[in-house]
Amino acid sequence: MKWSNVKLILAREVRDQLRDRRTLFMIAVLPILLYPLLGMSFFQVSQFMREHPTKVYVIGASSALSEGTPLIENEQFAPRLFNTPDKVGLLELHFAPDVLAPGETLDDVVSQAKKRVEQGEFDAAVYFPPSFGEQLRQFREASESQTIHRGDEESAAARNAAIPRIPRPEIIFTTANEKSQITFARLHDVLRRWSDELGKANLSAAGLVPSAARPVELATDDLADATGNAGRGLWAKLLPVMLLLWALTGAFYPAVDLCAGEKERGTLETLLSSPADRSEIVIGKLVTIMLFSMATAILNLISMGFTGWLIVANHPSVGLPSWLSCFWLLLALIPISALFSALCLALAALARSTKEGQYYLMPLMLICMPLAVLPMTPGFELNLGNSLIPVANVVLLLRTLLEGNTLQALRYAVPVVGVTLACCYLAIRWAVDQFNQESVLFRESERLDLGLWLRHVIRDRRPTPTVGVAVSAGILMLLVRFFMAVTMTPPDELSFGFLIRSLVTTQVAVVIVPIVLMTLLFTRNPAKTFLLDRSSWKWTTPLAVLAAIALAVVLHPVIVTVALAVTHLYPMSETAELLSKTIKEAPNLWVLLLFFAVVPAVCEEFAYRGFILSGLRHSGKKWRAIVVTSVFFGVSHFMLQQSLMATLSGMVIGYIAVQSGNLLPGIAYHVVNNGLFVAMTRITPKTIEEWPVLQWFSDGVGQAGYHWTIVITGLLTGVLLLGWFSRLPYQKTNEERLQEAIRRGMEVDDKPLPSTAM
Amino acid sequence: MIQVDGLTKHYSDLRRGQLIAVDGISFHASEGQIYGLLGPNGAGKTTTLRILSTVLRPTGGRATINGYDVLTQAAQVRRQIGFMSANTAVYDRMTAWEMVEYFARLHGLEGDLLRERMEGVFERLQMNEIRDLLGSKMSTGMKQKVSIARSIVHDPPVLIFDEATAGLDVLVARALLNTVAELRDQGKCIIYSTHIMREAEKLCDRIGIIHHGKLLAEGMLDDLREQHGEHDLEELFFKLILHHDATVTATA
Repeated sequence: MKWSNVKLILAREVRDQLRDRRTLFMIAVLPILLYPLLGMSFFQVSQFMREHPTKVYVIGASSALSEGTPLIENEQFAPRLFNTPDKVGLLELHFAPDVLAPGETLDDVVSQAKKRVEQGEFDAAVYFPPSFGEQLRQFREASESQTIHRGDEESAAARNAAIPRIPRPEIIFTTANEKSQITFARLHDVLRRWSDELGKANLSAAGLVPSAARPVELATDDLADATGNAGRGLWAKLLPVMLLLWALTGAFYPAVDLCAGEKERGTLETLLSSPADRSEIVIGKLVTIMLFSMATAILNLISMGFTGWLIVANHPSVGLPSWLSCFWLLLALIPISALFSALCLALAALARSTKEGQYYLMPLMLICMPLAVLPMTPGFELNLGNSLIPVANVVLLLRTLLEGNTLQALRYAVPVVGVTLACCYLAIRWAVDQFNQESVLFRESERLDLGLWLRHVIRDRRPTPTVGVAVSAGILMLLVRFFMAVTMTPPDELSFGFLIRSLVTTQVAVVIVPIVLMTLLFTRNPAKTFLLDRSSWKWTTPLAVLAAIALAVVLHPVIVTVALAVTHLYPMSETAELLSKTIKEAPNLWVLLLFFAVVPAVCEEFAYRGFILSGLRHSGKKWRAIVVTSVFFGVSHFMLQQSLMATLSGMVIGYIAVQSGNLLPGIAYHVVNNGLFVAMTRITPKTIEEWPVLQWFSDGVGQAGYHWTIVITGLLTGVLLLGWFSRLPYQKTNEERLQEAIRRGMEVDDKPLPSTAM
Repeated sequence: MIQVDGLTKHYSDLRRGQLIAVDGISFHASEGQIYGLLGPNGAGKTTTLRILSTVLRPTGGRATINGYDVLTQAAQVRRQIGFMSANTAVYDRMTAWEMVEYFARLHGLEGDLLRERMEGVFERLQMNEIRDLLGSKMSTGMKQKVSIARSIVHDPPVLIFDEATAGLDVLVARALLNTVAELRDQGKCIIYSTHIMREAEKLCDRIGIIHHGKLLAEGMLDDLREQHGEHDLEELFFKLILHHDATVTATA
């Protein structure tokens, strides 16, 4: 790749976008106008809202009139019951007639009031029972008489029984209506203050100090206030999501214009026939899109911040985000923009026209929005599991940083950055791949016809699966496994029988059925797909099987050591513990070996090293095929610790499968590897006593594990064995041969162009 | 200069399964020659030329340009060619000068040489008055001139013109043909596809007649005339195509 070409393309694309009025509007003009306008309208609306009084229907007001502490004065609630007296007008009171109409009961009045609130005629109603005032008076007198007999030896229960029950006024409102809810809150405040006043009056009448009813007064001290960090929580939730959304929007429109737009205008072919390499074109375009995505996000945040600052100036309690937060936001913006830009670029490359490109925004948003908003939900915190979810992990990390928990954030920074970079890399690869596919670049509009397409896929199937079919198989197996995991809830007490049953069902439903179906539908040569056709049997095959078994044995100490380190870092969950305990207590070792070592090994090898790897190798990149297969294999284990280990083992098995060209060595490795793990669970101090040789498998602390000398020896022997595999002449696919030819072709120097005068 | 051996291109088509766009065609063209690829619409001309310009990859066969393989040495091939077709448009938001300069720089021209070549090309194609005109404001003829300038500014030994006169009026088309002839006289190897017989007759040294992806006849123009006893190229063309269709129907 020549950076001078990337720079040229980048400069051109940026200039091109800057000359486009639509882009400029989206990036610069819209944010500058949007937030002040939004802020202004919000301000207007909130002003309008604040001034709005609500209507309250009061039933039985006369009985609520209490001497000394009146609730109602001049047909309004008493001003002293409000925070500030000018709020009195916010509750507009309408009184029910004191005298009942003939033939009308009080219940009628109340049910009518309910109806009127429901219909919105009133925002709420307050109902004081008819005897309310009288009961209140009695209550006070009763408590006064209690004071007189204070010295008596009466039991507390009897004393309480003597006091008449406190009557209860009722607020009628509906949560279905926001205005009604606001009214309820206002009413509730007023009545609570009033009841407090009454209580105090009763206490002093009974000769007690008013504070007796509330001996503990709570004081609060919000540290955020003192350190000037108020509003941090708000910013921490708001800013990352805004950043994400604008980075995505800012990436999308330029991406569509730069790919689908160029296709539409016919300039893409001009560029493709120029000396610029596909990867140079992609990187040039990608960086352009990234620049615009970042510019959009930054301009939006600045404009939003400025408008917010103007509004917030009236609320000094909410501080502005600190400079450090801004730094973290800017830093995180780089990978976020890169990821979104690459995704948008790949999607836009797929589109035939700008119109089609615009359609892709919605699905992309639908996927990204939940990921961006998920971390806003309370209780969703940065931990290992969450730090592995793409996009959401960046938002979480940012939130944690903005909340000021730098240490907590740094602990998970490595997985977050790792996952984000991996996603970026994959998205960029996808984009480059799109540009290398002529079927994508020169797609012609075809009527969408699912049946026709399926017929085409089946009719024109190749001997082995295509890359697309292989990837679909991997995803299909993951989906089926996910649904199985959701529907099959394990019983509280794990029984061995249940374990075997679920294991067999999982293998059948998740692995065997999808793979057999897909093989029959989408391939012509199942034997070749599963690396078991005639050409796969060579004189080296038996040797390869033996070597694979040896490799599994010598690598076992290494894998166990790594596994221990992994579980040390990320402790096993309770279910996993329970699982290994059940395995330990299983009745028969041979049954255990059959179901936990042999069956999964055989099924999974057919699926992963057979079907998926054979398909992915049509991409022309041997190692990429091995790695992607291993990742599918790893993820299908669902438990994080197991997934990591399975991915590692998957690479070794994938390499063995490719080099030997036969499925058997891989199966042998897998069986032995699983078998050793199963056997290890059976080692107890008692078995070591019986078989002293087993001491070697113990690290001396009683924990399962190997002595480090064995680990090192195993690793070295393993490397030697892999070296033997690397010397096997492996069978390349046509695509791999082409890639090799291209690599060789690229190495040839250019002939200088003839320099004839024009 | 251009060597094509058994070049084949398949597409997978939803409706018809495997579609053979180019079916094992072979020809060669040398420097100072214009090779005319003649055929009706959908004959496979554009696909062939797209393969030669490395925009598409062949399914089978081999093609080399100036000794470089179009499949495995695509980058080197692209540096040897100037490609212009009805599908290679001009950027809307770039001026003529910027556009030509951009591609010249992609070809590695810099400094004085770049300036010299640019001035030369603009002078020769009489484009000085549209120097600062944006692509979106240009007429079809102006755009075509910019495209030619773009494809010859780096002085490539091989030029590929795919239906270059499509959509042009007589005046502009004539000027273009003159330019192509001049380039040939400078010793370039030019491959020129068209479905207009007059153009081919006037311009081309060698001719290949392509139909349904197959090369029906190929050779120097005069040899073809002699072989088939038909002086008029248009008649010759019809004869060949009718004959081919007849044999296809007969065998089918």
